[in-house]
Amino acid sequence: MDENSAKVVDGFRFMPPSLGAWIGKDIPEEPFGGHIPWTPLQKPISKTTFALMTSAGISLKTDPPFDIEREKREPTWGDPTSRRIPATAGPADIDVNHLHINTDYIKQDINVILPLKRFREFEEEGLIGRLAATSYSYYGFQLDPKELLAQTMPGVISSMQAEGVEAVLLTPA
Amino acid sequence: MTPEFHREVGIPRVAAIEYPYGRPVGEVNDSEGQRRVLLAALSFLEKAETPGQVCQLPFTWPEEPKHTKWHPPEISPIINLYLEEIKAFGARTRK
Repeated sequence: MDENSAKVVDGFRFMPPSLGAWIGKDIPEEPFGGHIPWTPLQKPISKTTFALMTSAGISLKTDPPFDIEREKREPTWGDPTSRRIPATAGPADIDVNHLHINTDYIKQDINVILPLKRFREFEEEGLIGRLAATSYSYYGFQLDPKELLAQTMPGVISSMQAEGVEAVLLTPA
Repeated sequence: MTPEFHREVGIPRVAAIEYPYGRPVGEVNDSEGQRRVLLAALSFLEKAETPGQVCQLPFTWPEEPKHTKWHPPEISPIINLYLEEIKAFGARTRK
């Protein structure tokens, strides 16, 4: 792929113009003015323990899928739960349920959004300290994230802390 | 991904990339391309020193948007619910 150092990412480039304008109308022009949480990186990434987390609706085939049937009945509702994904999971182990993207690519190669294999390689090569035993998925369509934040994320955070996670790569769907 | 949401919610560190929705790390089975994206994001993680920094990753997706097939097979319930409003808004915006 080409590289262009002067690039400014257009997050709406792949979206139909009408939809992009409709979604973008509520995004302010000015920079965010509120408080942004900040945890400095404590050590070089070659010694840091990572977990991955994506909003792509990935679940293990042995776990319940994300509930897209209720969303079909209630279009403003999105499943507020999360799933644990082992660091060793591959395409044969996962299901993907998400009503806002084409999930075929993730089913073919989970690394396009939850790059477990790439991070295992980085660990073997000494580029990162370690990939934690568990990574995570939730469901990115959350018009009202209260339940996700209050009920789901505390458990995810506890699990990360128990596995010594020091940095998380978040990949949006 | 849509880094513009950063202006609405405030995110500690954003490695922005202009790739289709659902494939922010790269193409299927392109392990080398995925590595380049991830190593660039990790490099930014090591360099970022202040909350709210956005790193514009320099990668370009090789297909035109209309060929990326990122859309779900059926229109999503929320878009379907607001479809007429979206069309009307788009028509007003184009004028």
